[in-house]
Amino acid sequence: MAYAGGLNSPSGRDSAPGPRFFFFAALSIVLMYFDQRDGWSERIRYVLQAAAYPIQVAVGSPRQLWVATHDLFESRGSLRAENAELQQRERQLAVTAMRFEALEQENARLRALTDSLPPLVKRSQLADVVNVDLGRQRLVIDKGDHNGLYRSQPVIDATGLVGQVVRLGPWSAEVLLITDPEHAVPVEVLRNGTQTIAVGSGDEAELRLPLLPATADVKAGDVIVTSGLGGVFPAGLPVGTVLEVVRDPDEILARVRVKPRATLAQDRQVIALWFNPGHPAAPVDPSLARDLPEAPLAQPVLKPPPPPVPAATAPAAAKPAPAPAAATPSPASAGQESR
Amino acid sequence: MFARRESALLVWITALIALMITVMPLPKILSVLWPNMLVLVVLYWSTMMPGAGGILIGFLGGLCLDVLTGSQLGQHALALSLLCYLAIRLHLLVRAKPLFEQALFVVLALLVYEGVLWAVDGFSAQGTGTWTRWVPVLTGAAVWPLIAGVLGRLHAPR
Repeated sequence: MAYAGGLNSPSGRDSAPGPRFFFFAALSIVLMYFDQRDGWSERIRYVLQAAAYPIQVAVGSPRQLWVATHDLFESRGSLRAENAELQQRERQLAVTAMRFEALEQENARLRALTDSLPPLVKRSQLADVVNVDLGRQRLVIDKGDHNGLYRSQPVIDATGLVGQVVRLGPWSAEVLLITDPEHAVPVEVLRNGTQTIAVGSGDEAELRLPLLPATADVKAGDVIVTSGLGGVFPAGLPVGTVLEVVRDPDEILARVRVKPRATLAQDRQVIALWFNPGHPAAPVDPSLARDLPEAPLAQPVLKPPPPPVPAATAPAAAKPAPAPAAATPSPASAGQESR
Repeated sequence: MFARRESALLVWITALIALMITVMPLPKILSVLWPNMLVLVVLYWSTMMPGAGGILIGFLGGLCLDVLTGSQLGQHALALSLLCYLAIRLHLLVRAKPLFEQALFVVLALLVYEGVLWAVDGFSAQGTGTWTRWVPVLTGAAVWPLIAGVLGRLHAPR
């Protein structure tokens, strides 16, 4: 039907563009309607996502090729230096891990639990980044539904939080970076447990904490970690470091800039995480999240998580609602270990 | 004259290449300026060979853009179908004009295209973006002579 028009006719008028345009326009509007509502269009998208994957790989390939050739010609000397550096870091990490184990045991005792906690991370999946789209602040990775990934799954790299899965294809997934302006992470200041929300700035080198009052106890150099509220991210993943705090006497809120910990745009491999729902720091069970209807990104992706998390903070994850999330240390939140 | 089938193939292949150029990952500054090549190519074929791709190519191309850019399903499809329709309807008016005048029509066409996207964003209560979304309207018109030159070379030898 595509070529039904007369190519050879001088005007092309007999191809009757009017009715056909009407048909396609109606189809588009129906699609948009269903995409706004829930669920149904998700299946079409899933198929289209699979069809689009080759294009995404092809389009990302020049960068991949550049990276690969760079690897190929890396000199022996630099490799040896890198090796030495990695060994040293591994030793340091081993020491930290030893301490960590002891602390975890102690923590479990303090919580008066009979046996030690299950590990927070049940399973992790390494995925290659096949395409980086900085305009839209997204990564395309080469693992998808067939590897068990699920929507709104947290994704990290070796240094910190990267983002969450927003679109799922059979063999690929799109990860929305935490620096996207539409993305918000419930976080806390590690030093004192002040809770707030980190919103992306659209620049992959910066996050903002737009909801902290000017009197909040936060200063440059503070480490920001996920607070475990909101039901998507677990507690305690490093998000970034505070770059600067501007307190303008005319404004009620402080302007806080945060540098993300993860090397978002330069990442070549990322890690998708699954959690043990039994662990107090874990977000809600993915099987619950999977049944949820598609929600626009600007709204919270999840329904209010189970009891331990105060319900009031969940909606605040998305719309910058002024008061609730900001200052009060929540009474019995899941991941909070500060008291 | 090309056989109909051959020219249809040419249209679809160039559209695919243009789609890939459009969604190519780019540094930030470049991505603001980057014209939507797919729209330009579809516009070109709709004016020069209105029978070859038809509105179908606009719809499918738009759908691909929807998926690849993560916008609402049907948004780009609607805008590009409309553009195709206008181009096919007005192709006699535009086709014989010198390149400079064509570029003016391209500005209008891209304004319509971006306007539809903008309106849909507004209706669906999503952010309507900043002024930078209108930049490709101008850069698109600026690269039009290039597009017209390359594509004209491709189907000229008849």
